[in-house]
Amino acid sequence: MAESKGANVVAIDELSFEKALAELEQIVGRLERGDVPLAESIAIYERGEALKTRCAALLKEAEARVEKIRLSPDGKPAGLDPLDGE
Amino acid sequence: MATLLIEDPVFRQHRVPRGHPERPERLAAIGSALAAPEFSTLVRDEATSTDLEHILSAHTEEYVRTLRGLIPSEGIAQIEEDTYLSPDSFSVALCAVGSACRAVDAVIEGRATNAFVACRPPGHHAEADRPMGFCLFNNVAIAARRAQRKHGMERVAIVDWDVHHGNGTQAIFWSDPTVLYASTHEMPLYPGTGAASETGVGNIFNAPLSAGADGAAFAAAMRDNILPAIDAFAPDLILISAGFDAHWRDPLASLNLKEEDFAWATEAVMQIAARRCGARVVSLLEGGYDLTGLAQSVAAHVATLMTA
Repeated sequence: MAESKGANVVAIDELSFEKALAELEQIVGRLERGDVPLAESIAIYERGEALKTRCAALLKEAEARVEKIRLSPDGKPAGLDPLDGE
Repeated sequence: MATLLIEDPVFRQHRVPRGHPERPERLAAIGSALAAPEFSTLVRDEATSTDLEHILSAHTEEYVRTLRGLIPSEGIAQIEEDTYLSPDSFSVALCAVGSACRAVDAVIEGRATNAFVACRPPGHHAEADRPMGFCLFNNVAIAARRAQRKHGMERVAIVDWDVHHGNGTQAIFWSDPTVLYASTHEMPLYPGTGAASETGVGNIFNAPLSAGADGAAFAAAMRDNILPAIDAFAPDLILISAGFDAHWRDPLASLNLKEEDFAWATEAVMQIAARRCGARVVSLLEGGYDLTGLAQSVAAHVATLMTA
């Protein structure tokens, strides 16, 4: 058969930040253009909400792991200090 | 009498590559949902394996031999566009079949009113001689044959509301008037089969739905096409290929069903079963890939089974 069932289609809770954001942007575009019938627009809006939640969760996770980079006297990165506690 | 639930950690041993939607976590989500207090009266049983002889009721010996030869000793082997084998997948697939048969035995022998089997891998795309679409063995087809050959059930009806057409089940029973196959599914969508014109020997009923179709469209297809066909067939047992990927949250398709729609369909099938075959219904998990949608839909489906 020609097409795949979608073994490569990933559920929201497994999407990377980039993929979730890309899909969210696609949904926003479609809703803004208004080229979606009402029933479907409600469904994709709900999916957009779920994608937004996923992106926010990933960002929060990333922020918690950001570390300050110390610069050595000649301007090169010299090591890491842990982020100050929030 | 009660509803039988078969669920078992063994089904999580069938592993798929990272990112593949047919993942073990699906069963963890279902397990959590069915641990809620309202499910405490379920009769629970564990999985059981099966003899290869039962696999041969729907599959060729050559296929089974070839499949067994592809089992990797480690890692994950791709055996088809979308289908993979991990070291335990073959034996897990035997457990899916065995558990479906165990549920059929229990319901026909009167030890349970109806049953739900939370199994992996799914089955309805698997054809007699090949794996397909995440499926290795056609669990529901073998269960139907079990009912006929071991228990003398003459007519078995299979209703398939997974969002993908069950090409495997349809092909296996294409020329067999003793088994009815009735399916709703999105079209166009993988696997591409399932047009209303595909009717076998008058035992196949397909009611395709367009992308974006919601519960009302699904209910209309069931009421106008699927349910009357099953009723008129006067089955001795009804099997459900219970996929929940028509749920609006599902990433693999574009239908917009909610949990209530699956509850409604379950009730409608149960009413026919009550009239025609002593309420005997056995439901087997097929698809459903968003963990929240899947868990909530299975909960609604099983809660409805429990009202028999």
